[in-house]
Amino acid sequence: MTDPKQGITEAEAIEQAKQGHEAAFEVLYHLHKRRVYSLCLRMVSNPAQAEDLAQEAFLQLFRKIGTFRGESAFSTWLHRMTVNVVLMQLRKKGLPVVSLEETLESDDEVPRKEFGTQDVKLTGSIDRLQLQRAIDKLPPGYRTVFVLHDVEGFEHNEIAEMVGCSIGNSKSQLHKARLKLRDYLKFMRAEKAKTG
Amino acid sequence: MTCSEVERVLPELLDDASERAFPAGFETHVKSCPACSGLVSDLRLIASESRQLAASEEPSPRVWLRIAAELRAEGLISEPAIREPQSAPSRPILISTSPGRRWSAWWLAPVAAALLAAGAYVVSHKPAPQVAKQTPAVPVTVPVRVPSAVPENATVSPDRVTTPAPQQLARKAAKPEDRVGPAARPAVEPEPSAEDQQFLSVVSTRAPSMRATYESELQAVNADIRETQAYVNRHPGDADARQHLMDAYQQKALLYQMALDRIQ
Repeated sequence: MTDPKQGITEAEAIEQAKQGHEAAFEVLYHLHKRRVYSLCLRMVSNPAQAEDLAQEAFLQLFRKIGTFRGESAFSTWLHRMTVNVVLMQLRKKGLPVVSLEETLESDDEVPRKEFGTQDVKLTGSIDRLQLQRAIDKLPPGYRTVFVLHDVEGFEHNEIAEMVGCSIGNSKSQLHKARLKLRDYLKFMRAEKAKTG
Repeated sequence: MTCSEVERVLPELLDDASERAFPAGFETHVKSCPACSGLVSDLRLIASESRQLAASEEPSPRVWLRIAAELRAEGLISEPAIREPQSAPSRPILISTSPGRRWSAWWLAPVAAALLAAGAYVVSHKPAPQVAKQTPAVPVTVPVRVPSAVPENATVSPDRVTTPAPQQLARKAAKPEDRVGPAARPAVEPEPSAEDQQFLSVVSTRAPSMRATYESELQAVNADIRETQAYVNRHPGDADARQHLMDAYQQKALLYQMALDRIQ
């Protein structure tokens, strides 16, 4: 990966960052900031908090950059570090990282099967903004697994290791999250159709 | 296979990494059952569309400023890398240190301190009137990051804005195409303050390759200050908003400080 504006490769930036060059840190930051921040934002649904978490993830990375030996991809290393930072924050706040059982229904919960056989498909593409809003509405436990798997691309065995659950639990949580999102999206679509 | 059996095996089957063969009867049932067909199709669509969300958001410039400040404070930054400048890069990295007389920009330090003091004053007192002149003469958008009590995309109705009357008249007289939508910044940034102009002038003289970047960063942080200041003017009792404004002033002070460290 190369910073197009500078012509410096990621590998060069890493080596310079190990020597304490600020410019190199900045290159690495700009190369990965969107991925890191987006992950934090999806997990906590709060822009200010997401920025704090992204900042902390990069700081941890830069503090430990001297230990990076290149056995895995730098982005993978950073990615995992970011997830750990977010999960630690969720645990500190006492929020459930993964639901072990069905979560309590919230007040604005959409009844399941409300849109049963009458309107069976989310036809066409999904509005990205609606999808983002629907993800924000997910209970924290479901949201964690959904974001890690469907948005960020982690496998269930990786998720299970990170959040401390079984692979089966991870798959179950993901499925429930998708079902809830489907209900939210259909509800939003129906509401939008009503208001025109 | 029944609908409930299909739903029971779906968590395993919809996982992209799974290479498990579909159980007998699964595909036959899904093809013939509109509800199950719709369910499978929807869940696959949600999974595929969600991947588009990775790396879709951009953090504000203040994040890097805070990181850089912390790295300096911890002594993790020693010196910028040195290499021959090529075509003027738009980012302030890899500057060359030419010999010769160094330009003294000593005045940046007290300006940075003054910015911090201004922010501290705002947090502890009702906002000073002179800051209101930075409020643009267009409808102000309340940023999403300001406390959640503010509705998304809220705009200020003309009769509640505390801007001076001439600016209100200018805004009302603005052509429709010139008006800014709720989620957009002003099409033309207000003129930079005298301190900002002097700051950019020094940067242009001492490190011309860095000017574009610092100008961009300054515009972003000034816009943040303006928007937050406008919100604080309307909600002077909101402590979170005042703290946010203080943070914005600190970011600007950091920007000055970083430039000072580079060009001295």
